[in-house]
Amino acid sequence: MDCQEVDELAGAYALGALPDDSLMALRDHLASCQRHPQIAALLVVARSLSVAAPEREPPPRLKARIMEAIRQELGSAEGVEEAPPEPPPLSWLRRRSRPRLAYALAAALAIAVLGLLSWNIYLQVSPGGGPHTLVRAFTDGGAATGRIIYLSDEKIAMITADGLAPLPADKTYQVWAITRNMPASIGLFNASQSGQAAAIIQVDLSEAQVVAITIEPSAGSPQPTTQPVLKARI
Amino acid sequence: MERLYDRLGRQAFGLAYRILGDAPSAEDVVQEAFLTLWRQADRLDPARGRVTSFLMTLVHHRAVDVLRARRGQMARQAPLDPAAVEQQGADVPDKVAQLLARDQVRMALASLPEEQRKPLEMAYFEGLTHIEIAKALGIPLGTVKSRLRLGLDKMRSTLGVRI
Repeated sequence: MDCQEVDELAGAYALGALPDDSLMALRDHLASCQRHPQIAALLVVARSLSVAAPEREPPPRLKARIMEAIRQELGSAEGVEEAPPEPPPLSWLRRRSRPRLAYALAAALAIAVLGLLSWNIYLQVSPGGGPHTLVRAFTDGGAATGRIIYLSDEKIAMITADGLAPLPADKTYQVWAITRNMPASIGLFNASQSGQAAAIIQVDLSEAQVVAITIEPSAGSPQPTTQPVLKARI
Repeated sequence: MERLYDRLGRQAFGLAYRILGDAPSAEDVVQEAFLTLWRQADRLDPARGRVTSFLMTLVHHRAVDVLRARRGQMARQAPLDPAAVEQQGADVPDKVAQLLARDQVRMALASLPEEQRKPLEMAYFEGLTHIEIAKALGIPLGTVKSRLRLGLDKMRSTLGVRI
């Protein structure tokens, strides 16, 4: 497919009206050609059509169904957690002090993601974040990158990271809140084989200056024993 | 998720219903879209506020697949690839969010000449390919291609979307 054909098909493409073969050919072309910036604008316009449909009140049971389905998925994630040595695809936080808290953490996860998403919408109105949400990127990570989102009202920190080295079974990632140079453990987590991790931690970070992640023996350490692999100023 | 549903549920259900025309199918589609969003929450970039458009894209894509299956057509082989979709839009901020003034979008659509609006609606809300639109309207394929393009371009200028 050449540039002229791509331009001719741009409207149909943006509207999702291309048959598979043309769609594939056009995507191939776009992957290696920078000469079609206008397609981005057409996609934006085409997507805006979603709001041209009249709003409609869904039956009340739909909300219940969706929340129930999410609860079930969270439940099965816990099941994986209970069955070592197979690592869960996304390892949820394990808390040393209260290991039976999986259910509460699942609930916290739901709240945190809800917070994250609502805040996401909030951002559309107010770039720069809301007064009760703090977002910081982790640094010092080398290949690893990550972000901490802290919802101060809910006292929930959500950590996501990418590019972490998968650890042997006798090691874990440990998260520290550092207040006036005093580190306090706030949780442990593992990374998936592909180096991703997500952890939800219920913690008050209002006094903390830094959140850092170190590699520790699998039971966790009372104090950090290695240099941080990721660090964020709060 | 609950608050997100409260905020976007009506819009998502409205779109699914507009495409499918019946409540039970629309419910299934909306549920699936919210679950997909939930599973991919960590992939969304909060700084770009893409949740709304991503959710609506999911609803639209899934609803069209259901519609096509109903018509006895093969579902699309080409999967929805949010990365590819986003890639094309990566250099512009997500203007969909700013366009959520739905009256503006409806007016922009309504202001198109019938010959442009009709094929555009058939593509987006009925999930027809440009070949099917050409057959249904009895006009040449090349004409459909250019009317789809012209219609979107005109809406773009009405809505003030710029690169």
